[in-house]
Amino acid sequence: MDKEMQEERRGFLKQFGATLGAAGLGAAGIGTANAAVKPKGNIPDRPVKVGHITFLTGPAELLGGPGQRGHVLAQEEINAQGGLLGKRKIETIFADEAAGTDANVKELRRMKLSENIGLFTGVISSGNTPALGPVAEELRLLTLFNDGCTDFLFDKAVPNPKYTFRVTNIQSADGVTAAVGAATHWPKVRRIASLQPDYSYGRNVFEHFVLALGKLLPGVEVVSESWPKLGTTDFTSHITKILSTRPDLLIAGVWGGDYVAFYKQALRYGLFDKMKVATTLAFGGYPHAIGKDHPDGVLAGVHANYHFLYPSAERWPINKSFVERYYKRWKEYPSFESDGAYVALYLYKQAVEKANQLVGGWPDDEAIIAMLEGAGIDSPAGYLYIRADNHQGYKDAVTGLSKNLPGYDFPVWDPASIVSIPIRSITAPPNWPKPGQGHNESTAAADWIKKTWPAAKAA
Amino acid sequence: MEIVALQVLNSLFYAAVLFLIAAGLSLIFGVMGIVNMAHGSFYALGAYVTAWSVAAAGSVLPPAALFIFLLLGAIAVALVGLVIEPTLIRPFYRRPEEYQLLVTFGLLLVLEDVIRLVWGGTPLTASGLVDSVGLIEIGGLPYPVYNVLMIGVGIIAALGIWAFVYRSKFGVLLRATAQDRRMAAALGIDVGRIYILAFGLGCFLAGLGGAIVVPSQAAVLGMGVEVLVMAFVVVVIGGLGSLEGALVGALIVSALRTITIQFWEEIELAALYLIAAIVLLIRPTGLFGRKA
Amino acid sequence: MLLAFPALAGTYHTQLLTYGLTLAIAALGFNLLLGYTGLLSFGHSAFLGAGAYSVALMMRYLGVSSMELFILGGVVCSAALAALLGVVCVRHTRIFFAILTLALSQVLWTLAYKFFWITGGTDGLRVPFSQLSLLGGLVRFPGADAFPKFITSYYYYVLALFCVCTVLMWLIVHSPFGKTLQAIRDNETRARFLGVRIWRYRWYAFLVSGIFTGLAGILWVPLNGLVTPDVLYWPQSGKIVFFAVLGGFRNFTGPIVGAVLFNYLEVYAVAVTQYWQITLGVILIVLVTFLPAGIVGSAVRLGAKLK
Repeated sequence: MDKEMQEERRGFLKQFGATLGAAGLGAAGIGTANAAVKPKGNIPDRPVKVGHITFLTGPAELLGGPGQRGHVLAQEEINAQGGLLGKRKIETIFADEAAGTDANVKELRRMKLSENIGLFTGVISSGNTPALGPVAEELRLLTLFNDGCTDFLFDKAVPNPKYTFRVTNIQSADGVTAAVGAATHWPKVRRIASLQPDYSYGRNVFEHFVLALGKLLPGVEVVSESWPKLGTTDFTSHITKILSTRPDLLIAGVWGGDYVAFYKQALRYGLFDKMKVATTLAFGGYPHAIGKDHPDGVLAGVHANYHFLYPSAERWPINKSFVERYYKRWKEYPSFESDGAYVALYLYKQAVEKANQLVGGWPDDEAIIAMLEGAGIDSPAGYLYIRADNHQGYKDAVTGLSKNLPGYDFPVWDPASIVSIPIRSITAPPNWPKPGQGHNESTAAADWIKKTWPAAKAA
Repeated sequence: MEIVALQVLNSLFYAAVLFLIAAGLSLIFGVMGIVNMAHGSFYALGAYVTAWSVAAAGSVLPPAALFIFLLLGAIAVALVGLVIEPTLIRPFYRRPEEYQLLVTFGLLLVLEDVIRLVWGGTPLTASGLVDSVGLIEIGGLPYPVYNVLMIGVGIIAALGIWAFVYRSKFGVLLRATAQDRRMAAALGIDVGRIYILAFGLGCFLAGLGGAIVVPSQAAVLGMGVEVLVMAFVVVVIGGLGSLEGALVGALIVSALRTITIQFWEEIELAALYLIAAIVLLIRPTGLFGRKA
Repeated sequence: MLLAFPALAGTYHTQLLTYGLTLAIAALGFNLLLGYTGLLSFGHSAFLGAGAYSVALMMRYLGVSSMELFILGGVVCSAALAALLGVVCVRHTRIFFAILTLALSQVLWTLAYKFFWITGGTDGLRVPFSQLSLLGGLVRFPGADAFPKFITSYYYYVLALFCVCTVLMWLIVHSPFGKTLQAIRDNETRARFLGVRIWRYRWYAFLVSGIFTGLAGILWVPLNGLVTPDVLYWPQSGKIVFFAVLGGFRNFTGPIVGAVLFNYLEVYAVAVTQYWQITLGVILIVLVTFLPAGIVGSAVRLGAKLK
């Protein structure tokens, strides 16, 4: 690539402290309490019941299934060592998120009031966490959401969370990560087309991508917007429309089964030859859902969270070990949902152990919550940190360009193209005003980007 | 303006699929008086069977030969229909319409989960079929030959159904039974046999619709429920029980959808339902319907 | 026994039953049209949605917090909607009535879905009970432990309204108006010859039906805490039809029993199995095949036989 592009690329990366390629993580963070420390006090040996709601049916099962499998893997590993604090095994009750938001609300209540679960995890859809978060708070139920990453949850729905936590990156980081990835690899794009599912996630991606890209590259304009309904399988009319507007870049937030349908149809129209394509969730489902016919060079997002190739096995053994164990158990590679669900249980375990060391016996929720706030853990994706003010998880954001490599039956990332961004560079800092506190942007992040990011220098 | 040509072709392809589904729905209603709420699920079944068999045979047969599976998918669905009609549908002919609607609604729920039980949650594709016939250029833009072929299939199907219903002996029996069941029975026609074959034919058409669409899209869970509402809109506009209506309705709905997507996406869904409601108001039997 | 329920059964079952009671009100309204007027509506979700969204919009944009005001506002909205839709729909019968109601309720659904800047789109609008007050501000629910207290108070509130609705509907169907509706249902031609203004009676029935179902929506939403376009989506109308069929739509109490029972059925189906759709589907088919009179209807018949 020419010198000019290289310079621009370095410029972006410097702005964010981001790294390109597999030269990923530096020193690991705080070590996890892996050493066998003896629990203090009397621990009952009743199992701990955990509730987990995720998509077990429908096109979203591409995300929900791996999440369930990540959860079960962690559960089995913890139980193999005797359970939490060596005595309490984990038992999980699963329910299908596809039953609908109302049914999920009822099911959560049933799980707590009738089944007496001690912990609630799961939830993929951004439509469901803002509904279930307040219910969890009402029920005083400790909750670690695995996804459902909408900013709305902690911006508006549960602005002062006590029992609710979320372990995956906040939604606004998704669009921004895609923008940084796009600007890094294709700094010459100006005409942008958008294809988003018509619901809050799609709007969030669109807004933050355009906002961020507009700050990174001069003269960016949106030439077409397409908003297919979530669950659409026929994209041909949208594809034709996009082609007719001749964009340089397409930003696509469609995911799961929708994305599979989209890319196969787009291939036929030669869409990938005519424009660059950036996505936020192309590789968000289980890896083998995407076929080898998927084109190379697509910015294949993972919800800014995790791809099993990164951090690379040599540099981050935790990931190597996780992928090996996951593959051995499930005969498939993990997705970011697998990592999220897996880490959630380990985070809980860590918090329980720490609380037990301090107070002895089985710790109550207050103690566990205190240990979760500000907690850090070394996860397969890297270092994860739970901010105390908003109970939101933060880890470095990643994305990369798709490539078909030998050794895998499905496309993966070109290791040289992986962009890793420190999360603090793309999300609003602690205590940044939320929507309604002095501004009317849709998210705190949008406000922060508008106010603090420098405008792009004109070309 | 090559885009216009492409959009027209897209619209025709979608119309072909809609026509097949709507024609099946109308046929079943016309002959038996039943609104089959599970019709979309038969469409989904056709898609899944086709995708699955194409994938299974893909390593053995050359791509061109795989086209036979489109037909096989449709036939498989027809066979399922032939089993379902005498067991589930027949007991309800003499019952009030509400029960018929409900039993087919129950069938919809059952079929949706049967599909999931058999084939799981991963979308199934058969895109090799589309790739095997390549692309043509229309005004400098590539367009899949497959779509054009399937428009052809739609036309052949329309002609075939028309010939069958209006020109064949069986078609005469079919229409006689549709018009007046008792009279037909009095004349010695085996009404039960007619019914079962009509239902089978209707399912065949739905299955064929699913079969021809799956190579270009994918078989995903829930595709049946989504298409059912569209099929209803088509038969409402065209007229329940009318084959010409199914054709015209499919063309109108498909054109409207393509146009709104291109120019004003916001109203895509609302426009379709509103048109259906307006047609129902002005002409409740639809443009070509008979039974008021 | 109903009065002592919260004390006996605990928070979880109390809230479950409260859901059932709100759905029973919806079923009552629905069955005025089906059981007594002979019109099958596949679009009653429109009224559930109208009631629910009125509450949410009033809370969000007008800052209303009194339940009584919500009921007033919501009933007015549902009535207006029913009047409008009724004018359009009651000209037709049977299949076309069903499809027309379905299509129109779908129009509402797309509006709620698309106008997300007003309705919150698929995220919906929250209706937290902490901002709610019952009995004109006398009963409020502040504080962290308010949930069980809310459930208990709300249960009695809904129970009271449910009783009122049941009595009202009983009076309606046994009044001359109700008798006329049944006459129209049984033999439209004869009724017309007797000088009955068919269209007008049907329209009144549609209006009343819409109001009752709208009230159900109003009562349902604080319990759920949230309203999304899902409440307007056509399978929701299908559920309402399910209640009536399950309990038996030829009887007055059938739909009530059906609604409450279905509520339990759905919760347990989702909890027990991933294949909840097939479970509900099979139950529906079995019901319609073997128990067409519904549970109450069949029980009545059985009782008559045993005498």
